[in-house]
Amino acid sequence: MKIDKILVSIFQRAFKSITDEMSISLTKTTRSPILCEAKDFVTGLYDAKGQMLEQTENLPILSFSLGPVCRVIIEQYGDDIHEGDVIIHNDVFSMGNQNNDVAIFKPIFHGKVLVGWSAAKGHQADIGGAVQGGYNPNATEVWQEAIRIPAVKLFEKGNLRKDVWNLIFANIRLQMVPEDIKAQIGACTLGERRLQTFVAKYGLEVFDAHKQALFDSTEKMMQSEIRNIPNGVYEGESMVYYDGKHKGSKFVIRSKITVKNEDIIFDFSNSSPQTKGFVNGTYTSSCSAITLTFLQMVNPNIPHNEGMIKPLKYIVPEGTILNASYPAATTFGNHLCPQVADSIFKALGPAVPDRITAGWNHLLCSLFTGNHPRTGKKYVDICFLGLKGGSGAMKGDDGYDHIGMIDASGGVLDQDYEMYEQQTPHLILQHEYLCDSGGAGQWRGGLGTETKILLRGDDTTMVVFGDGDIEPNYGLFGGKGSVLNKIELKYPGKSGRKLVPLNKDMIHGIPDGTTYYQVAGGGGGYGQPGLRDREKLLTDVKNEVVSAKAAKSIYGLKQK
Amino acid sequence: MKYNVGIDIGGTFTDLICVSSEGKTIVHKTLSTPQDSSIGFLNGIREIAEMAGVPFGKFVAAIDTIVHGTTVATNALLTLRGAKTALITTKGFRDALEMRRGIREEQFNNHYHNVTPLAPRHLRFTVDERIDSEGKVLKEFDEQELLPVIEKIKAEKVESVAVCFMNSYKNATHELKAVKFLRKKLKGLFVTSSCEVLPSIRFYERVSTTAVSAFVGPIVAKYLDNLTHKLDSINFKGTLLIMQSNGGVVVPEQVKKNPAVTVLSGPAAAPTAGAYYSKLLGFKNCITVDMGGTSFDAAIVIDNECVTSTEGNINRYRIALPSLDIITIGAGGGSIGWINDGGLLQMGPQSAGALPGPVCYSRGGKIPACTDADLILGYLNPDFFAGGKLKLDKEAAHQSIQNELADKLGLSVLETAAGMYRIINSNMAQGVREISVERGYDPREFLFIVAGGAGSIHSSEICKELEIPMFLVPNVSSIFCAAGMLLGDLKHDYIRSYFTSFKNMDRKKFIALFEEMKKEGMKALIEEEGVSPEKITIQPVLDLRYVGQYHEVQLEANLDDIINYRLENIFDLFHKEHNRQFGYSLKEEQTEMELINLRLRVIGRKERPEFNAGKSTPVTAKSAIKEQRSVYIPELNEMKKVPVYDGDKPIYGARIKGPCVIEKITTSVFVSEAYDCLVDDLGSFIVYEREKFPGGYKLKKNKKVDENR
Repeated sequence: MKIDKILVSIFQRAFKSITDEMSISLTKTTRSPILCEAKDFVTGLYDAKGQMLEQTENLPILSFSLGPVCRVIIEQYGDDIHEGDVIIHNDVFSMGNQNNDVAIFKPIFHGKVLVGWSAAKGHQADIGGAVQGGYNPNATEVWQEAIRIPAVKLFEKGNLRKDVWNLIFANIRLQMVPEDIKAQIGACTLGERRLQTFVAKYGLEVFDAHKQALFDSTEKMMQSEIRNIPNGVYEGESMVYYDGKHKGSKFVIRSKITVKNEDIIFDFSNSSPQTKGFVNGTYTSSCSAITLTFLQMVNPNIPHNEGMIKPLKYIVPEGTILNASYPAATTFGNHLCPQVADSIFKALGPAVPDRITAGWNHLLCSLFTGNHPRTGKKYVDICFLGLKGGSGAMKGDDGYDHIGMIDASGGVLDQDYEMYEQQTPHLILQHEYLCDSGGAGQWRGGLGTETKILLRGDDTTMVVFGDGDIEPNYGLFGGKGSVLNKIELKYPGKSGRKLVPLNKDMIHGIPDGTTYYQVAGGGGGYGQPGLRDREKLLTDVKNEVVSAKAAKSIYGLKQK
Repeated sequence: MKYNVGIDIGGTFTDLICVSSEGKTIVHKTLSTPQDSSIGFLNGIREIAEMAGVPFGKFVAAIDTIVHGTTVATNALLTLRGAKTALITTKGFRDALEMRRGIREEQFNNHYHNVTPLAPRHLRFTVDERIDSEGKVLKEFDEQELLPVIEKIKAEKVESVAVCFMNSYKNATHELKAVKFLRKKLKGLFVTSSCEVLPSIRFYERVSTTAVSAFVGPIVAKYLDNLTHKLDSINFKGTLLIMQSNGGVVVPEQVKKNPAVTVLSGPAAAPTAGAYYSKLLGFKNCITVDMGGTSFDAAIVIDNECVTSTEGNINRYRIALPSLDIITIGAGGGSIGWINDGGLLQMGPQSAGALPGPVCYSRGGKIPACTDADLILGYLNPDFFAGGKLKLDKEAAHQSIQNELADKLGLSVLETAAGMYRIINSNMAQGVREISVERGYDPREFLFIVAGGAGSIHSSEICKELEIPMFLVPNVSSIFCAAGMLLGDLKHDYIRSYFTSFKNMDRKKFIALFEEMKKEGMKALIEEEGVSPEKITIQPVLDLRYVGQYHEVQLEANLDDIINYRLENIFDLFHKEHNRQFGYSLKEEQTEMELINLRLRVIGRKERPEFNAGKSTPVTAKSAIKEQRSVYIPELNEMKKVPVYDGDKPIYGARIKGPCVIEKITTSVFVSEAYDCLVDDLGSFIVYEREKFPGGYKLKKNKKVDENR
């Protein structure tokens, strides 16, 4: 068939508009703030073989697991896939990325022919297991973290399988979760209808040929990006501190990246073996981390489809910290993304120094649960507004202030302060940029933040998970690192704040009137601070994001 | 004889419409004068006086109302040339304005920067005061704390001050106290506060909107003062009204209180005019699109009312005031064609603008733009663009498409131009989809109204992609927004936050809040704008959601139900609206609802003029044929000779077979192979798909149609 190049462009835009529309629908209908405020979800369209047509990736770390799960489903069901089926999946041992990230898939038919799949995956507020919210720092096996859901049909040919529905949701704490799953099914139905209309309009033959042409053209774009990297073998590493079980434990993530013409291989075989705690990656969470890091180094306008990921090869052996064997605990796996990113940036730095950034702030996060005295209801709150640090600077650009973890790259939002004070009993005392937190350099790292919250209500439980509190992130080419992450508590009646010493922990019974204090560090700087544009430096000093002292001692600003 | 005048000032042209009390309509375009747009404003009035054949002084004395849409605020935000602005806020929250809740719109682009904050950090000050989420004072506010801030504001020569304190939507006393003190100590400075601009929950939305108001405030005030002064100098005794983003009009004094209401002053007039035209043709719902040089605006009208939204952004600055829901995408006559690294042709969003403009303008443009493709495809007449005022260089357009695009794609120039045409149409269809489908509306049920010079040669393809069966090119399409300005009512929006479940709601408080807003609105309309009470309508809106949800639905409620506290009716309405927007309701589950905000829209109805192109005797369409020209027919994917009609001739009532081009001085209409066109008795063009209307489209209203032409 003759390919109509123009039609290929139209296909690409149409697919994008479908996944965007699915995403808007999810934002508007879901209930958990993790979904509707923070947008911790992804929507996608796949062809009959499970190849990605397009995705809308609010939180990219979830995203590159949908295609592999789609292929698991296709293999598992074979001919037993029918119009009106709805399949649910979260199992990390069959290509899921994290237990809490639950995916819904709907097959799409053109007449009797399977032509594609629509999918939506979101981070659920609860997924069963020992601890509400799913983050159990004491877990050593998957069952202490979550209910496992390998691919199973929730609907068969349009009919709800009530028994399956009941079985699953009998194992999950919050009523909000089935409501949000309904919203995900709704978004998939939207995608199904739109793709159906689209295929009907152009016919199957045109659809197949032009979809393939889109993949090919996108693959070409990605290959030309890879060709811009000099051939060679590059290595980098970064550290992970504490597995939640053994104080002082540390682990290494080691990348070996081989570039040969238009091929690139990311090999993480030399990373540490898996941990005994929940600090373990899954195959797809690690591949997502690799992919999203690499995407930051290439043309941001490359369409997101199978052609984009085809040239990327991953080696992440089972049994390593990035791909733990059954039945390990893995909930922390998504949050190994910062270290994966560091190891890739560090490896490729010498080859493409103007495409990489200095170190991003690593995630350190708190999750509060307790009773709201005014409403008498239980609440679950991930403290997004405390966790956002800065991104690393790069050649020509300062880092982005208060962007948060690289896994989301600015796709996740802080709660609004006034809504937060309505939804939780707490009082926000401060949420501001932290002076001198951006790593110094010719280009400054993004600023970190300091957050102070007065915790109200009795019996607050706090789960802490993260890193970045032991080793400062790094600057590049003479640029400086930033300050460490930390969380401190000041108990009522006590003088002075007390550091929360472990970066994976659960603290029960926090009394009313305790002050929570968090520093999220900035990003690393790039280039010698002495070379910083003086006008920019003076503006930073005037704005009190760089102190006069630092301007003098680190940047070498001469007194006027 | 009395006159009403609408004036819309754009980047290149100032559009005017003048309607006499006898219904005679004059339409005019004059060059804008960006250095002081009031010059173009007065030039325009002088020129229409000439066209009306009335001496200038006499004409001005006979003007009843001038309604004006201004881009002063919009441009200040787009170019960041607003006032030097300071922000004073609660201790601990100095950076909320700049942080923008931590979003980076382009996640994979590390070169992407945050927006420049409208108040820079060194001009963001905090004071030690605090009110909690229930409105209780936790820390008293002492004005003396402002003294050092005032010193800095003076030293820095700040021009405008915004005040926004935490939870002021619950208790505004601290904020008001601060504002009073600042106004006393900083005479001559523009001072505004969040409780005056947007007293509703969500700190980020409020602080951002207040900062926008302060940033544009002094400039808008200065502009309006200058304009009223100039109008005084020509002895204008009528009323000057300003178009707001919500599609309503107000007197300049009201705008000065909250200048942020004018950020969409121009484009808001298009759906306002759309509501009028759709009603005229017997439709309730319409989509209006306006294709200009750099952007394409799309908006919808439901049940003859423009749709408002509080989700607006301009240049990435968040403005949460009720504004007409308008989607703007980077597609216009100046959108440039380029090839991405994968070898695929793309159009825009970058634009050649008016300068250097498309290659065919011969003003230095080198990169082929949409207008160049339109010229190659025969839709534009190189010798009759803007009535022949601007000669188009077809050869240069051909060369640039050849060199920049066609050779690289391995296609002919014609194939490439056709591709550019199809891609930009597809982009615009995407914008229309966003404003309709993605908001839960089916565009096929809407009258599609096309405004702007370039839109009507692209609309049949946009319609085809969305299966919209017909579109309307109104008689005033080229100055559509100016016309819309004469059609807007006086409109004021008020809001109060009241965050409560219905179970715990205080009936007295609920009603009192509405009474308070009503009183404010009546005062503005009756005392300040001289509206007679019988012309006032009041529309309450409730921001509601199911308990447990995060995003609320804005529900238009019945005033009687509110005053009489008939909550069941409100609940019923909410279930229905939720079902319409999201495909389900939780009525059967009896899920409880909660209230977030109360809103009140107070409207003073204005007389609506009827636009009449004049009472010339109709001529036959045949007699209006100017030439036969080769144009690109998308259905056939080839060029074909088609008749070109002179659309400025009075061909009222004619039915014209497609394919053809109807050419006017200010616009061209392309009627494609599958379409026919009916000209109504006001000179508007109704272009419809032949197959969908066997026997031809029939006007819903009893208008004369000559079927024999």
